[in-house]
Amino acid sequence: MQDSSPVAAGRQDNVASKRTTPTHRTFGRGFLILASLVLVAVLLAQILHATGTIDTGFADWRPVLYAYLFWSIALGVEQVMVRGQRGLRALFLLPAVLFTLAVVIFPTLFGFYIASLDWNLSSLEGPHFNGLNNLIALFQDDYYWNALGNMVFYTVSVLGEYVIAFGLALLLNAEIRGRKFFRVVFLLPMMLSPVAVSWMIGKSLLEYRFGPVATLARDLGWDNPAFFAHPWIARFSIDAMDAWVWIPFVMIILLAGLQAMPKEVLEAAKVDGANGWQSFRHVTFPIMLPVSITVLIIRIIFKLKLADIVINVTAGGPGGATDTVSSFIYRVYRDRSNVGYGTGLAIFYLLLIVVFLMVLLRLSSRWAQKVA
Amino acid sequence: MNQQEHDQHSLTRPNRRTVLKGAASAAALGTTGALGAFSNIALAQGNLRAQILQIPGIGKGAPTDADWQKVGELCLGPTKANVKEGEFKGVELSFMGLNNQNLHNLLFRGFLKPWEAYTGAKISWIDLAQADYNPRLQQAIATGTVDFDILEMGAPFEGDVCGKGLASEMPDWVKKQVDIDDYVDYLKPPVGTWNGKTYRITIDGDCHNFNYRTDVFSDATLAKAWKDAGNASEWGVPKTWQQVQAVTKFLKGKKIKGKDVYGYLDAPKPWGGFGFYFLGSRATAYAKHPDDKAWLFDVDTMKPRINNPAWVRAIQDVVDALPSEPADQLNADPNTTGFQQFLAGIGSMIPWWGDIGQVAKASDTSVIGDVVGFDILPGSDDVYNAKTGKWDKLASGPNHAPNCAYLGWGIYVMARVNGDEKKHKAAWSAAAHVGGKDLSLWTVMYPSGFQVHRTSHSNIDEWVAAGYDRKYITSYLNSQFSSYNHPNRAVEPRIPGIFQYYSIAEDELTKIFAGKVDAQTGANNIAAAWEKLTDQIGREKQIGLYKASLGV
Repeated sequence: MQDSSPVAAGRQDNVASKRTTPTHRTFGRGFLILASLVLVAVLLAQILHATGTIDTGFADWRPVLYAYLFWSIALGVEQVMVRGQRGLRALFLLPAVLFTLAVVIFPTLFGFYIASLDWNLSSLEGPHFNGLNNLIALFQDDYYWNALGNMVFYTVSVLGEYVIAFGLALLLNAEIRGRKFFRVVFLLPMMLSPVAVSWMIGKSLLEYRFGPVATLARDLGWDNPAFFAHPWIARFSIDAMDAWVWIPFVMIILLAGLQAMPKEVLEAAKVDGANGWQSFRHVTFPIMLPVSITVLIIRIIFKLKLADIVINVTAGGPGGATDTVSSFIYRVYRDRSNVGYGTGLAIFYLLLIVVFLMVLLRLSSRWAQKVA
Repeated sequence: MNQQEHDQHSLTRPNRRTVLKGAASAAALGTTGALGAFSNIALAQGNLRAQILQIPGIGKGAPTDADWQKVGELCLGPTKANVKEGEFKGVELSFMGLNNQNLHNLLFRGFLKPWEAYTGAKISWIDLAQADYNPRLQQAIATGTVDFDILEMGAPFEGDVCGKGLASEMPDWVKKQVDIDDYVDYLKPPVGTWNGKTYRITIDGDCHNFNYRTDVFSDATLAKAWKDAGNASEWGVPKTWQQVQAVTKFLKGKKIKGKDVYGYLDAPKPWGGFGFYFLGSRATAYAKHPDDKAWLFDVDTMKPRINNPAWVRAIQDVVDALPSEPADQLNADPNTTGFQQFLAGIGSMIPWWGDIGQVAKASDTSVIGDVVGFDILPGSDDVYNAKTGKWDKLASGPNHAPNCAYLGWGIYVMARVNGDEKKHKAAWSAAAHVGGKDLSLWTVMYPSGFQVHRTSHSNIDEWVAAGYDRKYITSYLNSQFSSYNHPNRAVEPRIPGIFQYYSIAEDELTKIFAGKVDAQTGANNIAAAWEKLTDQIGREKQIGLYKASLGV
């Protein structure tokens, strides 16, 4: 039987590291230093070339990527050569770390740099450093704050979605006929692309002239069933479409939580004489709280990114009533090629979301403890 | 600009194929025998133009790649006159264009296949959807990564491309080969040129015309109601925007054949910048003075005119007309007004590009094929003179100023081929083949995404021979050519970032139309944002480019 105690592991490490000879270690370190020099040299040369400081350079930034890959390999070799067995273990983690560094950390940091530029793709002078001007402009941008205001409405509406989803989850968790069928059917909206939903519902079912919903509304006495011509009706219509897509997601997570709930607790409550509401209020809901908080946080993150339905159905109108931060950024970036400012808006929004979610997590954690 | 050029806004689009199916129908060439007879006559006359118009033939289904190749092969004559067989062997060219509706680049591929076989050159293709086109082009320009030799591009981008020295000047032999003098007036210089140099082979024409319902404006009941309402004028098609407003308000609540009839249809919902053209069509008659080439900015300062009395009047007209339009009009973009409303029988007047006339008769969703008429855009009883700050009444009558919106697609050769003589000639030869005179007649009659743009396209007999109904096509082409050739046409400024100006305006206009701000305040906001944008892009250079684009 294999000895997996920490002492044994340490012993193995010692044995393994003893196998790395000074020659190996020197070679490993040397190789990494060489690769680092190559990476720095290529990067520096390309930066100088791109900024026009030197004439010679590469046609594009691809060699820098190759140099980074070479450096990554050298780092792996160095780990094995210098640290032996422990280095081999590090190899399991290194690719993920280096990949994350390349495609998450670096682009985010680069985003901060772009956000500090005055860079309109049509500008004849090209990009130039702008300091905090994009941030200052953002605070004076009515469209941005209008969109943020709308996001408050959209975010609060997640609570309504949660209530509906919880109800559906309870229903599908009960011993009802055809529940397997309904579980699949209720999941269908989630499988649809929001763009398809925009067209199928926003531009077809809710269409003022021939949409079945509009026709039904007329039959019910609403003379002019225009779902996107009045600010609050438009806001609710957009939110209803988004909710229709995402309620199944919330529902399925809650359903999984309900199914994992120990049956004994509910049976004990029943024996103690609790009715349905009391069981839910004092047993099911508190037990489900961690799952609820998790799914609400995830759903809020999705909601804060709402854009596709808005872009397709109302383009943010009427008069900005349905605009979201993402759809506004889309217009600034895509329609107006304002790369620096658009990135600034996105980065600021990212920071807002991070702060908001941290506060939300802290508050919900305290509340969960209190309820429990 | 064609409807299909805005593919993110529409799933189903009409195409010229459907026009031909309907317009031609059985009448002219409905039988194989008739087609055969026509073919024989054409061949007997050695008439290349008539010959290519039979490929694949009216009512013979949508053209395929084989048809495009056949047309390309038959139109190789001018190329053969300027290029020896195999002269471009070893030359590789890259062509960037659109793939909207499986047209544009896909046609060019077919047209250029025989050209490749003859010259020995090889072309690789960069196909882009409309939504990806602008960002891709802007990024290529901004980052200096132009990786294409030949480019399909709209004239509004000439400021971005030609103004930055990225395009190759057209050689004289190309001008001769494509018969550049055949272009309609408004597509002649300064369009396609920059600082006196010619860069563009025009393959498309775009202009807003006025589409109206003939049944509404000849309805006796409405005529009586119009008189009963105390109107002194006769009931008929409005000729001025003042009349459009009056008719739109009058028609509120009226019915024709038991259905609600509406007047003018505005398109208040933003449409990626393109929606601004529709306010422009309302504004040009007020804002484009015959004595002044400029109508959007002051020439010497780039000071926006969007908040002058002319534009504010046009904006206010929309605000005033909206209550008389369908209840959900606020959420209608131009695609909705054109294809879901007007063609479906809702509304009696809209401005649009030539697409409406092309599809009205034959689209499956169109119910107005027999009751649609065409004209140039309405005029105005008075026109604002930005230089004097006063409204003028012209001795000649109402001021008309057709809105030459978007100016159509063209083929450009990039400056990066200039260093290689063989490649330079090859690129221009390929562009000239695609933009050839005879080939262009085929593209404006068959599904291609392109509309009439040459004087030679106005030969009604050729259209009738190809299968179009004479009365219908005459009305349609007259509205197009009268707009193109109008002495006071409002030509779009071809300055860098023009769509950014439009997009910004759309955002503010939607607030005005929703009643959040009044017309003057909203217009002032647009002007302020435009000033900021001009400063960001570079005011002094922008002024220079604006002047160049206006040819002043």
